[in-house]
Amino acid sequence: MVVKNNLPSIVFIAPAIILVAIFVYIFSGWSAWTSLTDWRIIGRMGKFIGVQNYIRLFANDDIFRKCLYNTAKLIVIFIGVTIPLGIICAIFLDLGVKGKGFFRAIYLIPLSFSFVASATMWGWMFLPDKGSINTLLRMLSLGFLTQPWITSTKQSIISVAIVYVWQFSGFATLVYYAGISSVDPDIVDAARVDGANTFQQYLRVVLPLQKPATFTVLLILLMYSLRVFDLVWLLTGGGPAFSSEVLATYMYRVTFNQNLFAYGASISFVMFVLSFVVIIIPVLIGTLKSRG
Amino acid sequence: MGKKSLIYIVLIALSFFYIFPIYTLLNTSLKMDEDLKYGPVAPTHRIYLGAYTHAFHCIKKQLVNSVIITVFATIISSILGSMSGYIFSKLRFNGDRITFLVLVLGFYIAPQSILIPLVIFMGKVGLFNTYFGLILTHVAYGMPITTLLFRNYYEGLPQELVDSSWVDGCNTFQTYTKVFLPLSLPGFAVVAIFQFTNIWNEFLFGLTLTRGVSSQPVTVAVANLKGTTVAAWNMICAGAAITTIPVVLIYIFLLKMIIKGLLMGSVKG
Repeated sequence: MVVKNNLPSIVFIAPAIILVAIFVYIFSGWSAWTSLTDWRIIGRMGKFIGVQNYIRLFANDDIFRKCLYNTAKLIVIFIGVTIPLGIICAIFLDLGVKGKGFFRAIYLIPLSFSFVASATMWGWMFLPDKGSINTLLRMLSLGFLTQPWITSTKQSIISVAIVYVWQFSGFATLVYYAGISSVDPDIVDAARVDGANTFQQYLRVVLPLQKPATFTVLLILLMYSLRVFDLVWLLTGGGPAFSSEVLATYMYRVTFNQNLFAYGASISFVMFVLSFVVIIIPVLIGTLKSRG
Repeated sequence: MGKKSLIYIVLIALSFFYIFPIYTLLNTSLKMDEDLKYGPVAPTHRIYLGAYTHAFHCIKKQLVNSVIITVFATIISSILGSMSGYIFSKLRFNGDRITFLVLVLGFYIAPQSILIPLVIFMGKVGLFNTYFGLILTHVAYGMPITTLLFRNYYEGLPQELVDSSWVDGCNTFQTYTKVFLPLSLPGFAVVAIFQFTNIWNEFLFGLTLTRGVSSQPVTVAVANLKGTTVAAWNMICAGAAITTIPVVLIYIFLLKMIIKGLLMGSVKG
């Protein structure tokens, strides 16, 4: 039986809809409109200047281009490491040894850290002279492996990616473990009867069934890497020499440190379009597909 | 060497990657200033809580702020999410699917995309630098995920509950309060924990919607510790530890609900 009763339903969903309509959609539109003006002083309206902010961004702003490159680099390194690592952790947890609940808990603990706490902690880890990583390497007589980490223009974005991997690989493990352990044991048994060893069972039977898990993990990781702000702002400050500046930190710097509101809004709209293309469209396609 | 021990070696090696930074943090936070020279790796040979009292003194006002903001925002967003999740799960109306989809997609829109209007708006309506401004912001941005989580939770409860209470003469409101709310406790636990940890850890809204300490959340205060003192790493680490310990404890003791929330929120779109 389908209940048709419009009025009370609307009262129940009104707060959620009104809040999201205003705070997410109207504000996004407002921000997009702002990006078409030259507004920079609070209390005075900017005047409409068309797409000039975007022309400046893409044609004349070297730092912005650097941000696009750095954000892309972070995404590739971060996701390229996190997904394989999550799969490996999930498989090892699935191999059926005692204490897997304990290990799964340990792998998830980093997710509970705020980016403020992890930036603090990893800032201390990455110090070239006194930091934990280089100190540990020297204690193990591996001093030749020490790295400049966040102080180097070549390694700053890699350092950020390492922290993100530390933080999110437990989440990837969790989703893959749920996916792997829900595979029908009969299918795996059939492969074993056919002579497949453990490695082949996972590679040929279990992993091809993990597309939904990969889709989920990919979306969440993309979402967090496109909007990364706290960690970069506090770990490297975007430096040295903008080598780890990403879209979100540049947007903040332009908007709140330089008071270029309209220009900042144009960067935030680029972020909006990017998240629309790489996250929202895939979600829509996924939803339509699952409904057949 | 057996296969089992090989598995354990890998699992323990991976654990080291996750634990070592946390060990460094705690180890440093327990050092006296003059022991910092021994470096962060070797275990501290005397345990000293002075860094904690010092850090606590610097962030205690903001700790209180964060507790107030997080508790209220968690409660309000959980209740509103439960109400809308219930409707989207159990009642049909024209355009229900598209409304739900548009609502939930709000989760994926980066906070930067709305940040400038948000700050201007809060200033205009007099909520800049207030508890209520931050609570309202967290509630609004919590709606997509709390609605999604509750919708998925109520999907697990049978439609017959609605139909039979309808036959008994209950209206939508009574069906919700008398039939669904009493069955919602596990859902509330999952959503509240999810919201609490996210809002407690949030930084960007706290940074942009406050000025000075009056309503500043503790994440901003901890971030500022680094600027106030020159490399007092024991104190900085202690401050980070103080804010992190409650959430880590929630994770450890309520792991099952955390896992449920993470899987429920992400697997079904």
